[in-house]
Amino acid sequence: MTGPAPGSAQTPRGSAADPAGLGIVAGFLTQVRTRPDATALVLDAAETSYRELYELARQESGRLACLDLAPGVPVGVLADKSPGAVALVLACLLVRRPVMLPSPALADALLADLFAQAGCTHVLAPGGEPARVGPNAAVAAKPLPAEEAADVAFMLTTSGSTSLPKIVPLSTDAVDRFTQWAGPAFGIGPGRTVLNYAPLNFDLCLLDVWTSLARGASVVLVDPALAAHGHHLSELILRHRVQVVQAVPMAFGLLREAADRSGDHFLSVEHVMFTGDAIPDRTLAALPVLFPEARFHNIYGCTETNDSFIHEVDTRAASLGAVPIGRPLPGVRALVLDPDTNTVVEGTGSGELFVSTPFQALGYLDRARHAGKFTSHPLDLDDRRWFRTGDLVRRDAAGNLHLTGRTDFQVKVRGVAVNTAEIERVLLAHPGVLEAGVAALPDPIAGKALVACVQRAPGSALTGLELRKHCAQRLPRAAVPHRLTLTDAPLPKSANGKVDRNAVAPLAQLSSTTTPVAAPLTEGTAS
Amino acid sequence: MSNIDTIKNFVVTEFLPGTAADELSADHDLLNDGVIDSLGVLKLIAWVEDRFEIAIGDTDLNPDNFRSVAAIEAFITESRRTADA
Repeated sequence: MTGPAPGSAQTPRGSAADPAGLGIVAGFLTQVRTRPDATALVLDAAETSYRELYELARQESGRLACLDLAPGVPVGVLADKSPGAVALVLACLLVRRPVMLPSPALADALLADLFAQAGCTHVLAPGGEPARVGPNAAVAAKPLPAEEAADVAFMLTTSGSTSLPKIVPLSTDAVDRFTQWAGPAFGIGPGRTVLNYAPLNFDLCLLDVWTSLARGASVVLVDPALAAHGHHLSELILRHRVQVVQAVPMAFGLLREAADRSGDHFLSVEHVMFTGDAIPDRTLAALPVLFPEARFHNIYGCTETNDSFIHEVDTRAASLGAVPIGRPLPGVRALVLDPDTNTVVEGTGSGELFVSTPFQALGYLDRARHAGKFTSHPLDLDDRRWFRTGDLVRRDAAGNLHLTGRTDFQVKVRGVAVNTAEIERVLLAHPGVLEAGVAALPDPIAGKALVACVQRAPGSALTGLELRKHCAQRLPRAAVPHRLTLTDAPLPKSANGKVDRNAVAPLAQLSSTTTPVAAPLTEGTAS
Repeated sequence: MSNIDTIKNFVVTEFLPGTAADELSADHDLLNDGVIDSLGVLKLIAWVEDRFEIAIGDTDLNPDNFRSVAAIEAFITESRRTADA
């Protein structure tokens, strides 16, 4: 089975002159047919044209066909960002093969479980190379109903708030609707250059990689290994005259630091989208200088629903206060539920945000994990599928929404959602750990830095290095605490007898002095 | 003090406070278990440049050069050799 070939009699919906109505596959094929020599991807100094990318994808689809899989059975893809990796995912889209795309930075054991749970029988790497992990044969698949599975395009994972990330299947129609919004919204089309900052498994790529390829733009891929180098990012934007930049606030902080030294600014950029976390005031204040010609958008979304809110920042305003998440995207419904009265807040007021978007998943792959997340209307006022975000918001008099907090223990580390309660659970699973508390402290670059305090079990000789390894095997990278403090004394407790996270933070900060102290034992040994 | 010990001391002081330098083996994968993350690599590079008086260009930013104490040592030795040549 292969997708329609370019130049064949088969005409995709819409036309080359009006690609707005096309989805990813039809849009990409239209580009291959009408603009084969245009640049699709740029990585380092190498450029890949639309024709070359199509050829790579065709070779991959040949390999996919050889696997002889039943319709709807997903394949896993484990790959660092490269044109070959993009081609492999593209091949899956072309032949309507659901593609499970977890972070290659996850520990192998976690990946093996995830692939198995998704029902993958094969895990692929680009170019027919063997992937470093296969599905764990001991874990049962939780496949979707066949008719639903056949519609799935991407299977992404939640960014890591749990020890085993949740799998989010996104249908072809859902991602196509998204690209149809995002393309025109940010002028993504032929002759335009878009920076792709996020790793390939992030939902952000639905905008900067897949919308771009659907609409004929060029994508400048940032190598994730170099993504923390502000100077490198700055060079990429300048050299390739990038017009659209979407990234987590941290990236703009890194660019600001690099520009402070070099004096560079980025005249080519027309749209700046920051997303995934609150932008620090200092970074926000620097944006109009860094990008003198750009419009600035704060985008709010999550893997389950994709983007749902947007706010354009007026940089001419006298003072830039905290940036609201703004208003719902076209087609997005949102409601604010007052948790005390269980009524919908109309007008100004505060409560928990529920959203329902045209881009969202029907639910998690594992339906057992739906409870409290994918729900019906909280007051049963409609038949839509709603997503309970866990974000607390305030609606101001102008109708804009502002984030005010969380209903759970989720925090953002470099734009990645992690749950401190889940990290505590993982720490406690180690036999050498008696008690654990995790807190998130403000960090000028990463947004939040995670600190953990652990009381060792009596007689345990657990070391910080060993506990760090334990975490790295069970948690996504962003959820591994930056600082682990070990002590043999009980942790401070709150009135109800639970570990007091507020008291844990100063304990960990205390240990950040480089002198080892007797108690707490910082990353220390028993001696 | 050998370069290995100097590097170990820096890594432990900066990223693993309290850990005995002996506990950290020279081939311990620092990136894989999050001892040093991508922001930490920047800090490490700045220190290497300063301490060993070598200039690290964008082409040397491959994280594998900083994956373990031994890898850092090899990178420093190689950089100095190239600089002297």
